Amino acid sequence: MGVVTTFANFFAAVGAPVLALCAEVGGILTLLFRVLWCLVPPRFDLDETWRNLHKMGVKSVPIIVLTAFFTGGIMVIQAAVFVKKFGATSLVGWGAGYAVFREVGPMLLGLMFSGRVGSNNTAELGTMVVTEQIDGLRALSIDPVRYLLVPRVISMIVMLFLLTILGDVVAILGAALFGTVLADVSLASFWVSFSQNLHVADVVHGLIKAAVFGFIVALTSCHFGITVKGGAVGVGRAVNNAVVAAALGIVLSDYLLTYALP
Amino acid sequence: MIRCDGLCLTLAHRPVLHELGWEIAPGSVWGIIGPPASGKSVLAKTLCGLFTPQQGTLHVDGTEMTRLPEPERVAVRRKMGMLFQNNALFDFLRVWENVAFPLARQDPSLSREALAARAGERLRAVGLAGSEEKWPSELSGGMKKRVGIARATICNAPVLIYDEPTAGLDPVTTSKIYDLLTDLRLRHASTVIAISSDIPALRRFVDHILFLHQGRVRYCGPEAGLEACEDPVVHQFVRGLGEGPL
Repeated sequence: MGVVTTFANFFAAVGAPVLALCAEVGGILTLLFRVLWCLVPPRFDLDETWRNLHKMGVKSVPIIVLTAFFTGGIMVIQAAVFVKKFGATSLVGWGAGYAVFREVGPMLLGLMFSGRVGSNNTAELGTMVVTEQIDGLRALSIDPVRYLLVPRVISMIVMLFLLTILGDVVAILGAALFGTVLADVSLASFWVSFSQNLHVADVVHGLIKAAVFGFIVALTSCHFGITVKGGAVGVGRAVNNAVVAAALGIVLSDYLLTYALP
Repeated sequence: MIRCDGLCLTLAHRPVLHELGWEIAPGSVWGIIGPPASGKSVLAKTLCGLFTPQQGTLHVDGTEMTRLPEPERVAVRRKMGMLFQNNALFDFLRVWENVAFPLARQDPSLSREALAARAGERLRAVGLAGSEEKWPSELSGGMKKRVGIARATICNAPVLIYDEPTAGLDPVTTSKIYDLLTDLRLRHASTVIAISSDIPALRRFVDHILFLHQGRVRYCGPEAGLEACEDPVVHQFVRGLGEGPL
């Protein structure tokens, strides 16, 4: 009897979090289908989309520019010791560009975007649930998915994509500047290395990742926001869960995309 | 106008409404009262079609709501205006945009100027002229209630549901809000359902009472008959007695 109870307790302890995880994944997939349903054919609020594009994109530019500029610089600072030691100055432009376009740009900006925009989105939606604003929309016969969530999903995908392009450019500028100052790599040498060794595929690789990361941040932040329970504490918990889920999703999808994409 | 028969609703594995039967005649004014967590707000939201009961039927103007698919509930919901307990004002819209929101959805052909004019008119009616450009976060509790009432009534819906229209307000503001609700009701001959914990003020406003306790109807009838009700729960609650089953 004791052994049976121990096994039962073990399975209950393991099963509860697994069931909770399945419920969250199921919720995110359901939301994905509902969003896609509203997109084919497009049925969503254009004003709300425009407002979100501005709020999520334009207002994120300063932080993205700052992060990207110093990220480009940091990569060259780290490499400077070895560049000087092995005289590999002709590889600095290629190295910085390859890393920024394919990996560091989309990944870092995706995580930064999740922290700034995703968490804000979850908190905003969660507060709307707690203060009955979502019920208010439904009482006015407005589908919250179509009116609130689809514009946010579109805005996050579009804006992370565009911010990654901007971030890539700024990071390369930062790398070139720091390379000139700290690693004695002339701008001409940096440009030759950059332009002769990098291909359009490297840029496309990173931009596909950016769009996927935007989709992941959008789905997780909307799902955890719209399913908030339990007032202010619930909103805090949802923000935490959304950021963790987005980070996990970004890292996991990055791993898979790195294998899958050319 | 509205008829519930054997309505049962369970939320998160917890039964909230049991075998609820209720009939509301057009133009009548009902008050829903009862102890906290007795299902009052859930009932109001169920009437709006925000919750779907597992059993029973709910007829609104002859249309059975419970089995109606979501897209077809739109027409029924347009017959109702609702003030939520927390006002449910949209943070991302200015006061006039909040008030005009249902109107804009109901008639997309209306211009922004026409919407602003109608919203301004309604805001003047609730004593909030000059607050059009403010954000909801800039308003006091009483002002938010008034904006919520303006939004609930702007489409002149035949059924108005007010969930706690005076919660947290001082007696003077409470009195002004009920005067406003009475004025709106008389002007549009609407059917009104009001939920409130302020029993004396509510009783002056309504002509019928539904008393809920643990999701069950304990009294349903004229306001004047509430005093004579022999149900011990109703008796204790209405008189505010310390001793009793509650």
